[in-house]
Amino acid sequence: MNSRIQPRIDSSIDSPIDSSVDSSIKQTMSTPNVVEIAPSPEPRGLRMRLARNPEWFTVALIVVTCLIVGAINPRFFQFATLFDLLHSATTMSLFALGTLVVLASGGIDVSFTAIAALTMYGITKAVFAWWPDAPFALILITGALGGVVLGVVNGLLVHRLKAPSLIVTIGTQYLYRGLLLTFIGTTFFMNIPHSMDHFGRIPLFFYHTADGLRAVLPASVLALVAAALVTWWLLNRTMMGRGVYAMGGSLAIAERLGYNLRAIHLFVFGYTGMLAGIAGILHVSNNRLANPFDLVGSELDVIAAVILGGARITGGTGTVVGTLLGVVLVTLIKSVLILVGVPSTWQKVIIGAFILLAGTLFALQRKS
Amino acid sequence: MNQEDVSFAPPSQSSQPFLEVVGVHKRFTGVHALRGVSLAFERGQIYHLLGENGCGKSTLIKIISGAQPPDEGQLVIEGVPHARLSALEALAAGIETVYQDLSLLPNMSVAENVALTSELATHEGRLARTFDRRVLAATAARALEAVGLPGNADFQATLIEQLPLATRQLVAIARAIASEAKFVIMDEPTTSLTQKEVDNLIAVLANLRAQGVTVLFVSHKLDECYAIGGEVIVLRDGQKMAQGPIAQFTKAQISELMTGRHLSNERYREGAHAEDVVLDVRNFTRAGQFSDVAFKLHGGEILGVTGLLDSGRNELARALAGVAPALSGEVLLDGKRIALRTPSDAKRHRIGYVPEDRLNEGLFLDKPIRDNVITAMISSLRDRFGQIDRTRAEALAVQTVKDLQIATPGVDKPVQSLSGGNQQRVLIGRWLAIDPRVLILHGPTVGVDVGSKDIIYRIMQRLSQRGIGIILISDDLPELLQNCDRILMMKKGRVAAEYRADALSEADLYHALLSEAA
Repeated sequence: MNSRIQPRIDSSIDSPIDSSVDSSIKQTMSTPNVVEIAPSPEPRGLRMRLARNPEWFTVALIVVTCLIVGAINPRFFQFATLFDLLHSATTMSLFALGTLVVLASGGIDVSFTAIAALTMYGITKAVFAWWPDAPFALILITGALGGVVLGVVNGLLVHRLKAPSLIVTIGTQYLYRGLLLTFIGTTFFMNIPHSMDHFGRIPLFFYHTADGLRAVLPASVLALVAAALVTWWLLNRTMMGRGVYAMGGSLAIAERLGYNLRAIHLFVFGYTGMLAGIAGILHVSNNRLANPFDLVGSELDVIAAVILGGARITGGTGTVVGTLLGVVLVTLIKSVLILVGVPSTWQKVIIGAFILLAGTLFALQRKS
Repeated sequence: MNQEDVSFAPPSQSSQPFLEVVGVHKRFTGVHALRGVSLAFERGQIYHLLGENGCGKSTLIKIISGAQPPDEGQLVIEGVPHARLSALEALAAGIETVYQDLSLLPNMSVAENVALTSELATHEGRLARTFDRRVLAATAARALEAVGLPGNADFQATLIEQLPLATRQLVAIARAIASEAKFVIMDEPTTSLTQKEVDNLIAVLANLRAQGVTVLFVSHKLDECYAIGGEVIVLRDGQKMAQGPIAQFTKAQISELMTGRHLSNERYREGAHAEDVVLDVRNFTRAGQFSDVAFKLHGGEILGVTGLLDSGRNELARALAGVAPALSGEVLLDGKRIALRTPSDAKRHRIGYVPEDRLNEGLFLDKPIRDNVITAMISSLRDRFGQIDRTRAEALAVQTVKDLQIATPGVDKPVQSLSGGNQQRVLIGRWLAIDPRVLILHGPTVGVDVGSKDIIYRIMQRLSQRGIGIILISDDLPELLQNCDRILMMKKGRVAAEYRADALSEADLYHALLSEAA
C-alpha cells in the first residue's frame, strides 16, 4: 500500500473506487511519453576512461618498461628485439586468446597447456614414426583437431557436471598429462619431421643487424595474426561470440534469455583446445624440439597476461587487443630483463608486482 | 487433454483471446502450487495478478513464460494448444517476461540487451551465424524510443552496469518491445522506483496497451494497480479467487480475497515509550548525502524516517549501521559516545540493521535458516575450543522461528525456500538473538504481501514493548502512520520536519513529502 501514488484512494478505502480515479488515470495516460533519465553521474577523466578501456593501463606499463630498458641498454630499440618478442610471444598469444574466450564466458581453463603438450608430442612422434614426409599443413590441422577433441571433453564435463570449470580443468590437466607421460613417452627428441623443422625456419622477413647477425621474423607469426583476427571476429561479429559474453555476464540470465549454454560451453572449450593444439605444433617447429615436459606449468603466466590485458577473472569482459597487449607485456618482462642485466629470477617478482598493481587499480576503480 | 478437438477450432483473429490458461495444475514435492487455474487474456488489456506470497503467482508466471511445464492442463496461444512451452517457444510466440531481477546482462551494452534476444528468438536460438549490427542498432533505437529512452549510439553503447536501476527497468521493457512482444509479464516492476519513475512506467504501459499488447502486471502495491486500471486476477492457495475490472473492487475487498481475512488500517501503535534516551545522534554528516542530522530515540520508541529517494534517508540508515559510516558528528548510546565505523562496531553496541535489499545485503540465501539466524551472535555460541555449540544454535533458531511465526517445516531449510515476508522475519530474528538496544529496519515490508506485513507490524510492536528502540526507514506512508510514535521527514540530506504520527493524516504526510521546501 504505497500511498505516494494516489492519496485520494486511501480516503475511500471502504467505498468503491469513484470516478476520481478514472480521471487521474487519463491524466497519467496523457503524460507525454518522454522520460527524463537522471543522467547517471559519470565521473569523467582518467578513471572513467580506464574503466571502459583498461588496456590503456597495459599500454602504459609496456611503454614504461620499454623506456626503462631502453635507457639502460640502447640496443633494445631495434627491429631484432621486436622480432624476438613476436617470435617468443606466438605460443603464448594462442594460449592467451583461448584463455580470453574462456574468461569472457565466465569460466577458467588450466588444462590448455596439457592439451598442447599431448597433441604436440603425440602427433610429432606419430608423424615421425609413420609418415616423416607429411606436409606441415596436415600436421597443423591434425594438431588443431586433436585440441578440439580434448577441449570438447572439457566443455562436456563442465556443462554436464555443472561443476566449476577450474575444478574440471585441473582434473583434465592431470589426466591429459598423465596419459601423455604414461602411454606416449617421457623422452624428448630433436629429430622432428622435416616439414615441421622447415616451417620453423621460414623467414617472413629478415635483415642483417649492425653486428652482422641475421634478425629473422618467423612465418609462425602469421598464425598469431590469424588467430587474433579470427578470435576477434568470432567474439564480436557472431551470435556465438555474443553468447560467450552473455554467459559470462550471468549463466542463469543467459539461459533464461534462450542462449544454448551447451553449445556455448562446447564452443568455448573446443576453441581453446584448438588454439592450444595449434600452439603445440608451432612450439615444436619453432624450437625444433618435442619435449613432453614442456609447456605445462606456464598456465598462470598466460592467465596473468590476459588479466593484465584487462579481462576480469569473474568473467564477461576482455578484448582481443587487451589480451595481446598483456601477452606483449609479460613476454617483454620475460625476455628483455636479461638485456639490462636483471637476473631472470626477478621476472616473477616484477610480473607479480604488475598484477598486484593492476588488480589494485581495477578494484579501486570499481569501488568509486 | 484433448488436443485434437481444440485444433478443429477455426483460428479467428479478432474475438479470440491471445492466451488461455486451461485447467493448469502444478505440484512440487509436497506442495500443490496451482490447483486447476483457468484464465483468459484478451489483447490490449492490462491484468493485475494479485495474491500473497506463496499463492502460486510465480509458478503461474513461470508456466506462461515457458520456464516450467504444467503437470496438467494446457496453454492456448492464439488458438493453438500447447501442453508445454520451452522458453524459446514462449519468446517466439511473443510472450516476454520482465523479471524482478530484470534479467539484463550487466556486462553488455544497452543495444545488445535490447535487441539480441529477439535476434536469437527469430532464428530459433542458432548461434553459429553473424548478425547485422546496423539492424541491431535500428531495432534497439526503435524499442528504446518507444519507452522514452534515447536511441542514440552513445546510449546504446552504455553498459547496463553503469545505468541507474530505473533506467534498467525501462531497458528491460524495451527488450520486450524489440521482441515484438504480444504479451508482457512484469514481475513487481515498481518495487524500487521513485514516484516519477513509476508515473513514466505507467505511461509506457498505456502505450503498449494501445498497440494491442497484453500486459500481466504483478505487484503488491494496490494503489498502483488502481492508477493503472484494467482487470484484476486474485490467486489464493493456487486457485483463482476472482477476476474482473479492478474498479469494481475496493481495496478492502481485494485484501480479503487475497488473505481470506479482513484487514483494517487501524494503528498498530499503542501505549507510550519510555522516557530514557537510548540513541542520541548529533550533527551526523556524510558529505553529499546527509548533513547535520540530529535526533533522539527513546527506549521502546518507534521512530519513522521518510523522504524521497534522494533525501538521504537510505544513506542515513546505512551510516547508523556502520555500512557507509558518517564522516562527522557523534552518536551517544545510553549516554556514552560510540564510534560507528564498521558494521561490527554497530553489532558490538547491539545496534541491529535489517537492510532494504535483503537478498543481496542481508541473507545467505542457500544456507539454512539456523545459520542465518545465528550469524550476528555466533561468537557468543563458541565453546572454549572455539567450536560452535550446535545444540544451543539449534534451540535458538527453533525459538526464533516460533517467536516470529516463520512458516517453515524446519530450521535446516535454506532461506531461499521461504517467501519474502518470512525471509524478512529471519533477518529480524538474527538481530533479536543479540538482544538489541536499537533496531534499524530499512523498508521491512518492501515486496512483502499484506498478510506478512500484518505479522511484521505486530512483531515490531512487540519488540518495542521490550524496550528496544526502533528506527523504521520507509517510503510506505500508511506503514509509518500505523506504526510510529514520531516521523522524521528528510529532504536534501537534512531533517526537514518532525511529526507526531498519531496527529497526522496520510494526505498531509504525502503533501509534506512532495513539497519542495526544505
